[in-house]
Amino acid sequence: MNPRIVPATLAALALASGAAACGSSNDDNSSASTGSAAASTGSDSGSGVKATLNGAGSTFAAPIYQQVGADLKSQGLTINYQGVGSGAGVSQFAAGTVDFAGSDPALSDDDRATIKKGDAVQIPFALGAITASYNLSGVKSGLKLDGETLANIYLGKVKAWNDPAIKALNPDVDLPSTKITVVHRSDSSGTTKGFTQFLANYSTAWKNGPGVDKDIKWPTGTGAKGNDGVAAAVKQTDGAIGYVEQAYALQNGFTFADVKNKAGKFVAPTLESTSAAAEGIEVPEDLGVSTIDAPGDGAYPIVSQTFAITYKDACKAGISADKAKGLKFFFNYLVNEGQDTIKKLSYAPIPDSLKAKDQAAIDAMQCNGAAIS
Amino acid sequence: MSATTALAPLTGRRKATDKAMRGLLAAATLVALVPLVLVIYYLLKKGLGAWSWDFFTTDPTGNFLGDQGGIKSALLGTIEMVLLASLIAIPIGWGVGLYLVEYGRKGRFAATVRYFVDVMTGVPSIVFGLFIYVTLVLGGWGGSSFAGWKGSIALALLMLPVVTRSAEVVLLLVPDGLREAALALGTPRWRVTMKVVLPTALPGLITGSLLAVARAAGETAPLLFTATIVNATTFNLGDRMNSLPVQIYTDVGSPNDQLVQRAWGAALTLVCLILLTTLVARLASRRSRL
Amino acid sequence: MAATTPDVRRDGRSILERSPSARRADPLFRATLIALAALILALIAFFFVYLINKAQPALSHQGVLSFLFTNDWNPSKQIFGAWPLVAGTLISAAIALVIGVPIAVATALFITELAPRKVRSPLIVLVELLAAVPSVVYGLWGIFVLIPKLKPAEQWFADSFDFLPFVGGHVAGPNYFIAGLILAIMILPIVSAISREVISTVPPDLKEASLALGATRWEMIRMAVLPYSRSGITGAAMLGLGRAIGETIAVTLVIGNSPTIGKQIFDQGYTLAAVIANEFGEAANDKLHAGALFAAGLVLFVLTLLINAAARGLVRRAERSSRPPTKVKAVPGAGA
Repeated sequence: MNPRIVPATLAALALASGAAACGSSNDDNSSASTGSAAASTGSDSGSGVKATLNGAGSTFAAPIYQQVGADLKSQGLTINYQGVGSGAGVSQFAAGTVDFAGSDPALSDDDRATIKKGDAVQIPFALGAITASYNLSGVKSGLKLDGETLANIYLGKVKAWNDPAIKALNPDVDLPSTKITVVHRSDSSGTTKGFTQFLANYSTAWKNGPGVDKDIKWPTGTGAKGNDGVAAAVKQTDGAIGYVEQAYALQNGFTFADVKNKAGKFVAPTLESTSAAAEGIEVPEDLGVSTIDAPGDGAYPIVSQTFAITYKDACKAGISADKAKGLKFFFNYLVNEGQDTIKKLSYAPIPDSLKAKDQAAIDAMQCNGAAIS
Repeated sequence: MSATTALAPLTGRRKATDKAMRGLLAAATLVALVPLVLVIYYLLKKGLGAWSWDFFTTDPTGNFLGDQGGIKSALLGTIEMVLLASLIAIPIGWGVGLYLVEYGRKGRFAATVRYFVDVMTGVPSIVFGLFIYVTLVLGGWGGSSFAGWKGSIALALLMLPVVTRSAEVVLLLVPDGLREAALALGTPRWRVTMKVVLPTALPGLITGSLLAVARAAGETAPLLFTATIVNATTFNLGDRMNSLPVQIYTDVGSPNDQLVQRAWGAALTLVCLILLTTLVARLASRRSRL
Repeated sequence: MAATTPDVRRDGRSILERSPSARRADPLFRATLIALAALILALIAFFFVYLINKAQPALSHQGVLSFLFTNDWNPSKQIFGAWPLVAGTLISAAIALVIGVPIAVATALFITELAPRKVRSPLIVLVELLAAVPSVVYGLWGIFVLIPKLKPAEQWFADSFDFLPFVGGHVAGPNYFIAGLILAIMILPIVSAISREVISTVPPDLKEASLALGATRWEMIRMAVLPYSRSGITGAAMLGLGRAIGETIAVTLVIGNSPTIGKQIFDQGYTLAAVIANEFGEAANDKLHAGALFAAGLVLFVLTLLINAAARGLVRRAERSSRPPTKVKAVPGAGA
């Protein structure tokens, strides 16, 4: 065999795969999801937008970004979103390696100080329930848990499922003696911030100990990356408990707890109880809302909001005009047509009062001082 | 015969020890092969099920619900990025190897270069990726973003010491007599190298380079923060590009069974690609006359 | 015979002389090759300088010794004590060496000394195949095959042997032991290959002499082969150590990523390489955090540099030396 056959084969392979890929590149759209029909009624700027937007951040909202991205592909807008955690998302946005960020907690003053390329605008566009999901054979969904017990589980004080604290809340349930495997996030996470905020509200030991943050020192448990990582860990470990956004819990058929809310009622995470958490929320000037531990009888207590973040004037921050147009279209879509997609994924849409303020902020997005058409 | 130097007669105990240790060594060898068998078994068991025509011809869809698509962009991305990395690393590696053998058999400079090439083989691949991330990605070359060519450079850094070392070994095997004969005929030095030494060593050089290519194809860490991951197939190395190892790494942590199965299928594809490259490398070495 | 001198002059030069342009080619060629070689040196130097430069903010914030030995990795509070990472790296590497080196050396001995000739080549190819499996595939296999299948055995071991130090506790899933096990599998090919090289340089005279004196094969290995190859095998083990320390992807998938030092081998841990892979995204805009990750990379770089340098020194010395061991060990059972 001629030794030259090797480079020749490699070259032929490269050409062949190039030809095959070029030929079948139109197949990409054949896998366009069923949601594309819903996307056809877009706003006017739909037909003129052709851009690739890169985003990163919250895994809490990743299902929405992924699904919306698949829907918008047929309209010429490509969204590349990487679920890396809210903390990493904001960091990468500030560093300029992505065009928009997804973050569950609102931008803090510290965050804004690190974003030096321009003023950031944050648009809350969905609400999601953080479930306390567990993998316990024989125990169905609806185990009753409250903030203090959850905090004690995550502090490592409650070690087994048949602990008196859990038994007291669930006298009728036959609890096995399995050891509790605590699963938490290993990356900087907005979901963590929401969950720990809830725990801190009901447990002084938690408030004075690990505290509230996107990234804390966990007293016990296994760390996993992303909401999907926590879901995978819970799925694979008998006796595990983890806090995951509801879309992931439903996708994997998890059993999750009914959590005691501020009004003292045990509420299951549903579309209604998630939406109820948004009733009567205060909307500050910069749209930085928070729905954790909402009052109201029917409100699920661990509901988190999620924001899409970009620059008020994208072009001034170094983003191309095409991308700026695409960003405005994308954010507009999220707040309008995208709300249907959001409901399909079991997130709750934002209330009308908030939507109006979001729309105003989106309409005010500019490129080099001029409004984007 | 002095009692202290003669070995005692072959008692049962010595025989038993000998048999036991030989058995132990054989058993240890089998134990060493058990993981290989298990890895291949599970790759086939869980990965073959994922293979289908659609698997190789559709991109990952990025849907949260529903069909997840295949690995087309990952497969093509790996091929593209590894090809570019080879185009960078192989000429440079051969060049340095040629220098070390033709001009640098003695001398401090050559010894230093040889030493540092050795050093480079031991550097963890993530350090290369980190380096390229900071210099090229955050530094803002070609727009401060992730790109396929930046991933290729990280892979090339990884391949360079391997290609250089294997090139040096092969070039040293070329008999000096060949060089001297050509020189005696009045051939200029550069011509001796290009027309006599290089062709003689070519099969061995190709073997070494293909083994480096196989290694680069399987690396994840250098690509994690240089080319990252993207769903769509692209032939533009200036864009983000998908790759098999990064796709597997991303799918591995997912609770979605479809994605996990896709990870197995992609892993099987990657291992097959590497084995194929290694096989071609070994076949090429058979043609070597050295 | 009258010599007819051929016309050896053309354009005022001998035809055997090269033209001026051709004369330039050789030095040009040489210069190009030297430039390429110098490129490698420049790259490494640049690497080193750049790493130190980028790590500097974190190292001056934390202090070099404090960075290495403080047991508190808390980036959100700007505390970068990397001791849990260093410890995790060392623990998983130690487990890998304890499991992997004996098996690798045993394999090398078997292949070189005991295996029938026909089996030798296939065995070598099979062991090399272990190196062809990429790191991420080992990680995938580790998560879905090794961890679930070994959990009962690990729990049994932890419960039965909890009087041993570092053994006991609840086995959750990913842990130091699994990471060490996978690393052992990954370093096996290289330790085995280098050990094989070293063992095959044992002079046949030495081996034949001991066999002629009546030694069994195992005694020959123990008396003649092992003492002679000791330093080379140590070098091989150190190369394996270097590889184990730098391994990222397989480890981060099966070690649990918990920045604490577990008390048992079945606890979760973290390594320097894994922390870089996991946290670089968060550190994109945070110079201090990024600096800490660079410092971790620098530690890795320096560690692997030192280990590999020492290892290659040992291996080269073992292969070059031709002196026999100074003492012939007495055979047990020899007459008084």
